[in-house]
Amino acid sequence: MGRYLLRRVAQSMVTLVLATMVVFAGVRALPGDPARALAGEENDPARIAAVRAKYGLDDAVWLQYWHYLTNSLTGDFGTSVRTNIPVAEMLKSALPVTIELSLLSLSVAALIGVLTGVLAAVRRGHPAEWLSNAFALLGLSVPNFWLGLMAILYLSVALAIFPASGHVPFFEDPVANLHHMVLPALVLGTGLAAVIMRQTRSSMLDALGTDYIRTARAKGLAERTVIGVHALRNSLIVVVTIVGLQLGALISGAVVTERIFGLPGFGKLTVDSVFQRDYPVIQGVVLVTASAYILINLLVDLLYSLIDPRIRVQGEAA
Amino acid sequence: MTHPRLVRLLGAALTALALAACSSVGSDGSTSGSGKRSDDVGGTAQGVKQGGTVTVALSAEPDFLDPTLAASLYSRYVFSAMCEKLYDLDKDVRVVPQLAKSMPQVSDDGKTVTIALRDGVKFADGTPFDSEAVKASLDRDLTNPQSARVSELGPIASVEATDPTTVTINLKTPFAPLTAVLADRAGMVMSPKQLKAKGDDFGNDPVCVGPFKFAKRVPQNSIELAKDPNYYDAAKVHLDRIVYRIITDGSIRAANLRSGDAQVADTLGTDDVPELKKDAKLQVLESPSLGYQGVTFNVGNIAGVGKPTKTLNQPYAKDPRIRQAFEYAIDRQALVDNVFNGQFDPACGPVAPQSEFSSDAVQQCRKYDPAQAKKLLKQAGVPVPYKFSMLTSNTPATLQFAQALQAMVKQGGFELKIEPVEFTSLLDQQDRGKFQLLQLGWSGRVDPDGNITNFVGTGGSQNVAGYSNPALDKVLEQARQSQDTEARGALYGQAQALLQRDDPLIYLYRQRNLTGVAKQLSGVQVYSDGILRIAFAGFKS
Amino acid sequence: MATVEAPLVDPPRVAGARLRRGRAVRRLLRSPLAVTGLVVLCVAVLAALLAPLLAPYGPSDAHFDARFDPPGSPGYVLGTDSLGRDIFSRILFGLRASLLVGVLSVLLALVVGVPLGLIAGYFSKLDGVISRLTDLVLAFPFLILAVGLAAIRGASLSNAALAIGIAQVPGIIRVTRSETLRLKSLDYVAAAVAEGASDLWVLARHIFPNATSVLIVQATVAIPAAILGEAVLSFLGLGIQPPSPSLGTMLSEAQQAISRAPWTAVIPGLAIMVVTLAFNLFGDGLRDALDPRASRR
Repeated sequence: MGRYLLRRVAQSMVTLVLATMVVFAGVRALPGDPARALAGEENDPARIAAVRAKYGLDDAVWLQYWHYLTNSLTGDFGTSVRTNIPVAEMLKSALPVTIELSLLSLSVAALIGVLTGVLAAVRRGHPAEWLSNAFALLGLSVPNFWLGLMAILYLSVALAIFPASGHVPFFEDPVANLHHMVLPALVLGTGLAAVIMRQTRSSMLDALGTDYIRTARAKGLAERTVIGVHALRNSLIVVVTIVGLQLGALISGAVVTERIFGLPGFGKLTVDSVFQRDYPVIQGVVLVTASAYILINLLVDLLYSLIDPRIRVQGEAA
Repeated sequence: MTHPRLVRLLGAALTALALAACSSVGSDGSTSGSGKRSDDVGGTAQGVKQGGTVTVALSAEPDFLDPTLAASLYSRYVFSAMCEKLYDLDKDVRVVPQLAKSMPQVSDDGKTVTIALRDGVKFADGTPFDSEAVKASLDRDLTNPQSARVSELGPIASVEATDPTTVTINLKTPFAPLTAVLADRAGMVMSPKQLKAKGDDFGNDPVCVGPFKFAKRVPQNSIELAKDPNYYDAAKVHLDRIVYRIITDGSIRAANLRSGDAQVADTLGTDDVPELKKDAKLQVLESPSLGYQGVTFNVGNIAGVGKPTKTLNQPYAKDPRIRQAFEYAIDRQALVDNVFNGQFDPACGPVAPQSEFSSDAVQQCRKYDPAQAKKLLKQAGVPVPYKFSMLTSNTPATLQFAQALQAMVKQGGFELKIEPVEFTSLLDQQDRGKFQLLQLGWSGRVDPDGNITNFVGTGGSQNVAGYSNPALDKVLEQARQSQDTEARGALYGQAQALLQRDDPLIYLYRQRNLTGVAKQLSGVQVYSDGILRIAFAGFKS
Repeated sequence: MATVEAPLVDPPRVAGARLRRGRAVRRLLRSPLAVTGLVVLCVAVLAALLAPLLAPYGPSDAHFDARFDPPGSPGYVLGTDSLGRDIFSRILFGLRASLLVGVLSVLLALVVGVPLGLIAGYFSKLDGVISRLTDLVLAFPFLILAVGLAAIRGASLSNAALAIGIAQVPGIIRVTRSETLRLKSLDYVAAAVAEGASDLWVLARHIFPNATSVLIVQATVAIPAAILGEAVLSFLGLGIQPPSPSLGTMLSEAQQAISRAPWTAVIPGLAIMVVTLAFNLFGDGLRDALDPRASRR
């Protein structure tokens, strides 16, 4: 176990370094650079040259990468070319928003997904299965930005139930914060709920067919106990896995959701910084998302073995 | 296929009739008739109470909150409440004193400009505002390597603090646009104390003279300003706080306005305006902008902008008749009516009609005539339809415009291919001359020189067309040096005639600054410069 | 959900034996939901193919005298958009583009992902390298890639398909890999190896054909995900080149006028939903039909 963990960590570090390199070279291959993007319609060659010089954009790429790497290791992510705000500060203000959004939509998704998934598995051939299925497939089939626009159009503007967009930090005003988060979390959560529902149903079906459950039933345990305790617990493993694997998707989804609802989160920061060629910000963003992805995958592996000790950790969660 | 033009004309006639029949009823703005709409730039605050926080839905995130470094239009919105300037504009786009006591004194040779300053003014940090501060700010604008102000400040040789309330600016050559430039970011005065403390990071905690002072900024989300007790005219300030919330999507800005989450929203979508005007709780301010939107032909940009030009080996670049034909193929009024709901104005040249330099000659226009377009193409000896491609940015509004243009010029014998790219790529490609036709506009400056010379003058830093015409250069230089408004106006008329002969840049329309304001607010103003003036507004009591 | 990576199907549960395929088809045809999905899909594909014949107007014909006509207006069944273009015609052509992006990107992902998955599953020495590669693609947000591609190469249908295809490669690799791992351990494959069959022969003759069921199911999940992905790219202004429509670009163009002409947004949104729903229904039915447990019960 210890050796395995070490190996996984080493592998993760390699992936991380590779990811930063790819992004570092990749963004520099894009047309235009932060100095030009910053100048916008006011094209002044002397000034563009000065900005390039300040951020070392004229240095060789490997040298720039070296500076980035060494500075990152000391916790210095540089400052945004566009706003001069330290990247660390931008990440610090954007991360909680996206984490909150992700957790909320995950909770929404897990709640709906597990519930409908169990229902669909237990009530096979029953209208409940159909309904659960239809719901899940619908969730998978709706473009979530469209759902977002519709929600704003009908729930915010016409009915004024929820604010149309914006964000209030949680610790400033928790109630207002949650009020602003309801729509985005629902919108982002629906698709994920569908994924979780399908997996829950499928693994529930599996679990219900195992000897283990048959034994439990044979011992005369109440059906509710059988499903709730025995079958469901095994199914949760799958849910945890999915949640880990869907993180990338969640962040991609968050980009659009954050854009529509005006949430100053990570997804929005990612896309905006790429559009602006704000190299330091892009690099910071990728470092964090890549680390998070790798860390979560690692955690999923470990959780996996904790939830079900029978499963030998093999390096792949799926 | 019906006859859209006929139907449109009929529609316009009917609308005119309808309007004539009930002229007391205000237009709802959705009519597609031509003619002038009334401007509403907003008035001064009336019957307002003290206090309150106003939320502004801002269409883009400002860049630096540093007058020297700022390049985006949107930082000017925030500056207008926080950083006063030596001069300001009034609602008729005339320059008036703000931190200066009076209009500048210009010496007979035009090379010395003397500015008298207001007395008893304090920065937000309590330090006194004086000529040394003005000098420090201007020097920073001129010498900071990353300054975005250098080129607009023109031929300044030196700045002197003659006495505490007098600043003298020495010029290498006469430079008429200077006063107007000092009515923009170059005229903002920064606290020398804060400059010393923060250096290049001044924008992270800016200190100026203004009705409001910087409170906090949450990256990509919001900027907050608080009332400044040190402001010299604090009695005129009613609000406690201004919160600018960045909401980039137009329809969502409108939604926020309608739901009451924001009280002000800038740059409304032309399709949202009719709905907003129907809302009893809202009003829409509108003023014509000073900039323009148009299409630029790459005629000689072969090595990159600012580099020596050479005529491109393309029929449209070699033969101005093809470019003229393209202009004949565009019905500007139909374009703005159909794409922008008639909310914008057709434009034929770089000088806005409301400018004091405008004249009939400057507004000279080529009429829509698709038959003439085809005839010119035939004369030029190119195959019809003549095919070429247009580079545009990828925002929905731009794409809608591009597609309408594409459909329109078909009648005139052109087959236009649309190449949408995201904005930074567009900038890169335009600089390098990697385009045939480019759809791009300019936000506009008060002095016409700032809207022309850089774009079509030989070697201009924004002359992406690679256009060079010595006769035009001469006219523009004369206009730059003359202090006489009428003489300058006449020169710009000549420039327009020269430009139209070659058509390197075809001016198409002028946006209007469309700003939504909740009726509970009084005193919000938006003039032709497009800047949101909200510092002296208040909630109605 | 605006995700481009398709949710993974559960590979080990889908029995790959070709023997069962006939029975699976029968079972599929007995499921009303799957048949509904299939019928809708066929109609959608036919409509897309026959768009030039069915559409009353060209997809980019502007009618400036008929802007924002609501659905049901004379001549325009589904109304018109901001430039007076017939929404019905645009939906037909848009369907074409969206389906094309969906199919192309998944084909691309299959062409790249299947061989890599087979290799990773079969040759355990190469497994580590390939798994790290998939991790790499998954580790940074797909959108950075898409934005980058669009910035370098401009917006077009093929670039959208390329970006989405790349994002789907890891999913295909994973599915193929685990299926290969499973098949490799089966007796008859082990027997073939013992008889001295070459690796290539075993992969081509025994493993790949038996993995196709899983891959087909994965593709039916991946195509709707790609169609949604195209919509997301279009929303960010990175979709296909105007004036040709895709369902996604129609949606993104509609945003501006959403309060004035809600139908311009509602109709393409519904169209996307119906098509992806049909794919998902069909895919779901297909997976159930191929699932041995379904017969066990």
